[in-house]
Amino acid sequence: MIEAKDINFAYRRGVPVLKDIECTIKDGEFVALLGHNGSGKTTLSRLFMALDHPRSGQILIDGKDIVNLEPADLADKIGYVFQNPDLQILADTVFDEVAYGPRAKKLTEANVKTQVEAALAAMGLSSLAGGYPRVLSFGQKRRLGVAAALALNPRTLILDEITNGQDAAEQTRMMEYLKAINEERGVTIILITHDMGIVRRYAKRTLVLTDGELVFDGTPQDLFEGGEHLEAWGLRRPVVSALGANFGVSAATVDELCAHLVKGDECDEDD
Amino acid sequence: MKTIEFKLTAFTWIIITLAVTAWVFILPLQAVATILVVQLAGLLYVKHDRMTLAAIGGLAVFTGMMVLLQLLFGSSLEVSLTGGLRMLVMTMAFLCMLATTRIQDIAKTLVDRFHLPVEYAFMLTTALRFVPNFLEDSAITLDAQSCRGYSNRGSFLKHMVSYVVVIRPLVMRAVAKSETLALAMELKGFGKNTYKNMPQEPLTIVDFLALLLVVFLSSYPFWAKLLK
Repeated sequence: MIEAKDINFAYRRGVPVLKDIECTIKDGEFVALLGHNGSGKTTLSRLFMALDHPRSGQILIDGKDIVNLEPADLADKIGYVFQNPDLQILADTVFDEVAYGPRAKKLTEANVKTQVEAALAAMGLSSLAGGYPRVLSFGQKRRLGVAAALALNPRTLILDEITNGQDAAEQTRMMEYLKAINEERGVTIILITHDMGIVRRYAKRTLVLTDGELVFDGTPQDLFEGGEHLEAWGLRRPVVSALGANFGVSAATVDELCAHLVKGDECDEDD
Repeated sequence: MKTIEFKLTAFTWIIITLAVTAWVFILPLQAVATILVVQLAGLLYVKHDRMTLAAIGGLAVFTGMMVLLQLLFGSSLEVSLTGGLRMLVMTMAFLCMLATTRIQDIAKTLVDRFHLPVEYAFMLTTALRFVPNFLEDSAITLDAQSCRGYSNRGSFLKHMVSYVVVIRPLVMRAVAKSETLALAMELKGFGKNTYKNMPQEPLTIVDFLALLLVVFLSSYPFWAKLLK
């Protein structure tokens, strides 16, 4: 469980980035962290990982204040995937890249192999295990970043805009995998994204930040169907929600929308 | 102080930076130490973010290494420390200029007022621009390393080892960036007119006052002799 208690943070004196943030993320939740550019999403997630520490207030992980911890202390509890995949590549092969975390945690080579292979398979990168990570496509590098985080079997994953640069099929594959580990293994997912379609479809809870303040905490349905502040918060209603609203129905996917519209019949369209 | 520093033009900053490199040799050691204190206080007042602190820390470590090297090669402690202080003040002058002046203004001033060929000005400014980028990238890569379970906590040696791991990815990224930059320059028609369309910065009264101070301190050997 991650608790933010009255968090204030600034990179430069007099320019607050986060103001009085108060929230709790329970184990097994699928949370989307939303807001316009510069709203403080990434900063808040960095505080969760002890990459920065709040100027005032506390971050508690499983009830323990992390003020004196560094990210390495939390690496087997929280996996963090950065926005820029290029800057997190440290090794010369895809396998070694994913194995970096388990080896840093001094797991046996047999365990390293098992965990790395599972993580690579989950992200569809098994065939590239011997490849040089820097020549991968942007989308593959993103998946490599997620695989590297998964290799330590963390109970929480913080993913910063990981769906950017992915084609539709890979995006769906990755999100379905995250959904599965969230539902089947109870892994907490904290997703930072600007893709409202993904939020509506996969997230169970949304936190919206605007200019460093937490302005909304609720379900995606409430967020997109309440709707009057969305533009002011720099968000846009996903197409399926907007269409549904016109017909007076609530839907997270095209299938759901069609099912409502044709009174229970399945729609053939692919979303 | 903040207002004055921001009002100084790139021209004045370049003159001050060049003058400081002369001052470290002609001014008495106490004056050089005072310049360092003024530089540090001014820099931390204007910018006290993580990157500036890292840059100051990096310079301090580099100076320490230079002092150690001089000691190893047989210089006395006094000579080594004096050499270290001089080098630190010189490099801090560059840091102060970079912290307060836009790189494109420096480039334009070098071309317009110092008549440096455009290619050389661009080369210089690209190298300067590379420093903050490199520091930023290294901070992110170290963070990524730490998030993967590698603790940077511990001895100086451990810190150095963790830096060695991230040097290669950073160099690879720098090479990739330079290639992109070269392509972008070609596409944008880089050439002698590159800096022509930027507005010229006029010198203000603050610049003239600063330049007078530069002349006063640079002529120290002459008036010090006269005063004796």
